[in-house]
Amino acid sequence: MGEVIIQLVINGLLLGGLYALLSIGLTLIFGVLEIVNFAHGEFLMISMYLAFLLFSFFGMDPYLSLIVILPVFFLFGYAIEKIIIKPLLNDPPLNQIFATIGLGLIFSNVALLLFKADFRTVKTPYSDVNLIFGNFFVSVPRLIAFLIAIALIAALLVYLKKTFTGKAIRALAQQRKAAMLMGIDVHRTYAIAFGIGIACVGAAGAVLLPLFFVFPTVGSLFSLIAFVIVILGGYNSLAGSLVAGLIIGLIEGFSGFFISPHLKEVVYFVLFIFILIFRPTGLFGKR
Amino acid sequence: MKAYLTTLVESAKRFRKPLIALAVVLALVIPLLPRNPFYQDLIIMIFFWATLATAWNLLGGFAGQISLGHAAFFGIGAYTSTILFLTFNLSPWIGMFAGAGLSMLVAFVVGFPTFRLTSHFFALATLAFGEVLRLLASYWRELTNGGVGLLIPHTPGFRNFIFDNKAAYAYVILVMLLAVLCVTYIFKKSRFGYSLFALREDQGAAESLGVNTHRAKMYALLISVFFTSIAGTFYAQYVAFIEPDIVFASHVSIQLALLSIIGGIGTVFGPLVGSLFLTPLDIFLRGWLGGVFSGLNFIVYGVILILAVMYFPLGIAGWIRKKIAGFEKAPALPKVTPADPAAGPDALTARRAVMGAPLMTVDSLSKRFGGLEAVKDLSFMVREGEILGLIGPNGAGKTTVFNLISGFIPADQGTIVFNGKDISSLKTPHCFCRECIGRTFQLVKPFGHMTVLENVMVGAFACTGHTEEARKESLAILQRIHLSHHAYTLASSLTIADRKRLELGRALATQPKLLLLDEVMAGLNPKETEDIIGIIRSISRDGVTIIMIEHVMKAVMSLSDRIVVINNGIKLVEGLPNDVVKDQRVIDAYLGGAYHATAGLK
Repeated sequence: MGEVIIQLVINGLLLGGLYALLSIGLTLIFGVLEIVNFAHGEFLMISMYLAFLLFSFFGMDPYLSLIVILPVFFLFGYAIEKIIIKPLLNDPPLNQIFATIGLGLIFSNVALLLFKADFRTVKTPYSDVNLIFGNFFVSVPRLIAFLIAIALIAALLVYLKKTFTGKAIRALAQQRKAAMLMGIDVHRTYAIAFGIGIACVGAAGAVLLPLFFVFPTVGSLFSLIAFVIVILGGYNSLAGSLVAGLIIGLIEGFSGFFISPHLKEVVYFVLFIFILIFRPTGLFGKR
Repeated sequence: MKAYLTTLVESAKRFRKPLIALAVVLALVIPLLPRNPFYQDLIIMIFFWATLATAWNLLGGFAGQISLGHAAFFGIGAYTSTILFLTFNLSPWIGMFAGAGLSMLVAFVVGFPTFRLTSHFFALATLAFGEVLRLLASYWRELTNGGVGLLIPHTPGFRNFIFDNKAAYAYVILVMLLAVLCVTYIFKKSRFGYSLFALREDQGAAESLGVNTHRAKMYALLISVFFTSIAGTFYAQYVAFIEPDIVFASHVSIQLALLSIIGGIGTVFGPLVGSLFLTPLDIFLRGWLGGVFSGLNFIVYGVILILAVMYFPLGIAGWIRKKIAGFEKAPALPKVTPADPAAGPDALTARRAVMGAPLMTVDSLSKRFGGLEAVKDLSFMVREGEILGLIGPNGAGKTTVFNLISGFIPADQGTIVFNGKDISSLKTPHCFCRECIGRTFQLVKPFGHMTVLENVMVGAFACTGHTEEARKESLAILQRIHLSHHAYTLASSLTIADRKRLELGRALATQPKLLLLDEVMAGLNPKETEDIIGIIRSISRDGVTIIMIEHVMKAVMSLSDRIVVINNGIKLVEGLPNDVVKDQRVIDAYLGGAYHATAGLK
């Protein structure tokens, strides 16, 4: 039993790193723009299809495809912010919510038109390779996904800490008006923050592809996970998202083993409700 | 043209009741007209979606709580009645109410924790909830038959809620639609409707006016869920087949919002209008295009949704209402005897002599925010009928004191006794309002999408359940705060001075014994300040006790009977105005050495 638990911890943590990357973009966007991107999962789906197409047509490895996906998704997010989000920033929440829901509807159904409802995945040489340490397995694609996710999150945190634009983003998240008075170009910074958030979820899609299937509604599956992580992590704390991602990864591993993999969403939701009741500000949120 | 339209609008208003009756009669005849099943189905679907969307709108539009999980209650309704019918042969007419009961129970349990979330996260939580129920319904095969779905055998009969004639279904759903429309219509005009609008606009302000926001949201949710659930039963009986991916689908929830937004969110008839336009489009898209390009209808919805929220957020009914408002004559305002001119100092002095017992006694109140001690061991007392000035430098903790004694933040320590009753343990601001403590906010919080009169009526509803009474009361108050000419203006278009007046009027409408005024004169010009001083004086003369935070020293000096000065969260000095301003500590901490020179006080 002890060995099973250690194995579950390994799997859970590896998955959790990926989940952290998946949700950190959502956290960043909420922290800075104060809107929840309900199309988050659909952006993930698009990136998975993009990585799939790059693999199918050019034989490009999904991990390598990051060099395409990161800039493309950044620009994608930047453009969406300029066209749809910016005009709604001072509107009632209702308008913001349904704008991104509309986007999600369009994305997932365009994908349905183009790719039909089939499940697709890619077969890489390392897809089924495991590293073996004594009695424990470490799946190579999961390990790579984990390492890439952690590296990207670290890069993002350094970027926000060290660069001028990064500081501007953090300043906006703290106090919109004061940041404006300090001469920060608010609209450009918002678009950049949104672009970065979308690039993060794009990266998550690319590294997720070798581990999972892609289909038009795959987004809704992962957006639930991302939402729970954001709330658990405390709405707008990036470090909180990282830790919450790891925790959710562990919970998924354990509930999959001890309860049922089919009920993992139910477990998330129960967890979600409990967080709301007992710690509404999340693990790292300030009151 | 304009004159013609004005007459048209006026006569439409005069014949409102006959017009509504005519519409109902028309609706009753419509199901009988078509012989073609396609059109019969179209009519049923229009009524059906209108019922669901109207129910959704009560929560999403009126109360501003955007639920993306209403499919869950739709599904519970459909599954409960169907399972009871198939297993126990229980009539769906009864099963319908069993399902509604179950839905309301689930809604209560889920709503309780989720209502504390802000709008975006409430939407998110409900979306997650809907998804989880869909997964549960697919997973729990013993009960729901999983993804295979449940088929209701065709055994016509009234008892079985199964009919051969489609017109019968049309009448059933029409009755449901009329019921939900009636409920919405009645709510809109009632105290409950005003509470919902108020909490949608600003929860804090609504609480301060005595609205139990949590309870109001819960009622709106439960009523909304009830109708959603019975419409679920209707759907199951009409289509005779249900499966989790149909009745629990998240796009059902989105569809309800879409209809409300297009038709006019927050209006009574908006969702019906939305359904009249979009349901035929939906059937067309599914029928002709859905077969060829599956998903195309949702792409169209997505585009409509984005365009609507970006360029047409009022919706059809909202837009019409706005246009009509332009042609409406403002109703004549009843004449109320104007308040006397501001009383002179003599009257005030005379009143001071009769000042009564302590009304509120605050004892060693403390509040700490992390490392900052905002209020430290503060004690003071205000007598009945008194005007107490609360002054001190910015950041001294004045507004925190107000927040503590109006229930907006809990104190760490200390007691508040009001009117002989210990109110320190009261949890929410509306309880403080019920105890007759009214307040205004330094950063004004008007209910922007409501008229000035409606704003004040929310306050008046703290004391009366009658709409007409509240309206009369509020009109009198508007006169008193010199805002009558703006009674039918939207609060969002007021100037800052008028917003401050509105704050005052709204709080006054709750008929407080103690009124807390937080910088009602900040940002006003001297003439406006004079005006407000006069208003405050007249309020005080009516026996209302006042604590005012103010930086305008001229006003503080001329109004206050006593002054409490606080600095860094502790009480510095307390005393008569003329003594306080001469105190060296007050001069050092707040007034500055130049005060006496400029104010010309000796």
